[in-house]
Amino acid sequence: MTEPAIPLLEARGISKNFGAVTALIDVNLEVRPGEVVGLVGDNGAGKSTLVKILCGALQPSSGQLLVDGSPVSFHSPKDSRDRGIEVVYQDLALAGELSVTENVFLGRERRKSGVLGRLHVIDRRGMAREADRTLTSLGIELANVTSRCGQLSGGQRQAVAVARSVMWGSTVLLLDEPTAALAVMEAEKIGLLVREVIKRGVGVVLVSHNMPQVHELCDRILVLLRGRMVAELQHGQTSVSDIVMWITGAALVQG
Amino acid sequence: MRRVLYSMDGRSQMASSAPVTPVEPSVPGAPLGEVAEAAREQQERRQASDQERRLARRRRYVEQLQGEGLLLVLVIVVVIMWVSSPYFMTSANLLTAASVVSILGIMAVAETLLIIAGEIDISIGSVMAFTSVMLGLLITDGVNIWLATVIALLLSAGVGIVNAIITVYFKVASLVTTLGTYSIFLGIAYALSNTMTVTIGGEGFGSLGSGHIASIPVPVFFFVGTWLIGAAVARFTSLGRHIYATGDNYEAAVRAGIQADKIRVGLFICISLSAGLAGIIVTSELGAAAPQIGDPYLLAVVTAVILGGASLKGGRGTMVGTLIAVAILGVLQNGFALLQFSSFLEDTVLGCLLIIAVLTDRLVRRAER
Repeated sequence: MTEPAIPLLEARGISKNFGAVTALIDVNLEVRPGEVVGLVGDNGAGKSTLVKILCGALQPSSGQLLVDGSPVSFHSPKDSRDRGIEVVYQDLALAGELSVTENVFLGRERRKSGVLGRLHVIDRRGMAREADRTLTSLGIELANVTSRCGQLSGGQRQAVAVARSVMWGSTVLLLDEPTAALAVMEAEKIGLLVREVIKRGVGVVLVSHNMPQVHELCDRILVLLRGRMVAELQHGQTSVSDIVMWITGAALVQG
Repeated sequence: MRRVLYSMDGRSQMASSAPVTPVEPSVPGAPLGEVAEAAREQQERRQASDQERRLARRRRYVEQLQGEGLLLVLVIVVVIMWVSSPYFMTSANLLTAASVVSILGIMAVAETLLIIAGEIDISIGSVMAFTSVMLGLLITDGVNIWLATVIALLLSAGVGIVNAIITVYFKVASLVTTLGTYSIFLGIAYALSNTMTVTIGGEGFGSLGSGHIASIPVPVFFFVGTWLIGAAVARFTSLGRHIYATGDNYEAAVRAGIQADKIRVGLFICISLSAGLAGIIVTSELGAAAPQIGDPYLLAVVTAVILGGASLKGGRGTMVGTLIAVAILGVLQNGFALLQFSSFLEDTVLGCLLIIAVLTDRLVRRAER
């Protein structure tokens, strides 16, 4: 890490109650440009709740979110997307019957110039060219950008979804279990893609149970245990078994 | 297998101060040599892309089969009719057939778009009846015939708005919504008309249904016009992409900023309007307003759309497919009339076609997995 830049996204003292149930207690998190922050914890530790708060799907009971150093309050995922923060879901994100290009440009179709453009006629070839360029530059190998997304493997779909977010200027990507349903080769490719993405100054929050990958990829690893952030582990100063011990709480017991 | 992850460690230089400690004890096994691992990786990658290509090829094949299969069916029914009846291949008969099937076709265009968007409207038959009866009542009350036509069309759009509100905002399945409105508006049509037929004259109005321009029946122009608009929207515009995306993956469409609900509302209005238009054309053709006019169309329209390759699951369908399917139904209807088969048999054939179409769609989907 070079000089600490202003965090792209920062969460300060986030707590969340659902009635009498406390899901998060005083959690802090920050992501800087080009940084991968791992978020790990057992089921029910509060990872999903935190991700939902970061993207505006839930509002914190107390605490503050900051984007580029200034306080924000998100009321919906749309608010966070407008500020460049995006959750990448594997299956929710893409329309399987549409082509890769059509998905990448979904909702932002490029029109032809002139009269046809005024009639909302779309520029297929131009879009295909640009989609191809973006995917290639991110190291995503696809046979053809005109193939339908439903035909792609889970990893490829994930990659297309990530590429779309990056292409449209997202600065923070929240990857929620990106490799959960993937074969090993594919999971590895997602790792490479994350590396490629952070080179562009994007910050990544990686929620995952894939401990070797978290260990290898993340600059910092935040461990949630029953709603509290119990550890912040630095890359290179921890091991997979360390992480697992923190997740299970064994590290706390051992002192 | 986890070892692969480590071998690809692009960051190992950065991490060199604290070497990576491998893995959980649950993954034993002697480490493979780097070379062997790289070779296996390459092979896996090659296998993956091979499989991808095979799948793509198989898919294209099945798709072609579906597209060309439909054309083949059309050719077959045309040949059968040609052989069976000397009148079939006369221009007079073909134009009549085109005129008859155009009414179905107008609605099939809008229904295709709606089904691509993941919804369905089965209230069209009653919208036709409702529009026709309202037209008859307005004219009986002395309203100018063209004004009455416009009002009747607006009323039909109103049914679409009702369908849209119930489906989109109260989240009732469109099959249920439109089944309900089907009964409601058919009931209203019968009640208001007292099951009586109102005769509607007028030189100009009659030409909507039975007039000719350059010896081509006027309804054909209505159909070709709607089809061209529908096809252009579906294929070339951003709205078309959004319609497909809405039916394919609603969540993704909304997340991409598409106003999927607005699109569905718009399409419900379009289909009801087209049913209203069809009702007016039939009324003009018969020279009479009657609540029975919509009866034959419900099954036929949905059959045409499904036969044309649109999927009830949404996201899939083409206007070319619908066009060919409409043509097939047109030839069949015409042929049954020429050969003087029972019209009940026609319903049976329609039902069979519908089921075959759905089964084909299922097969196509299975081939893709």
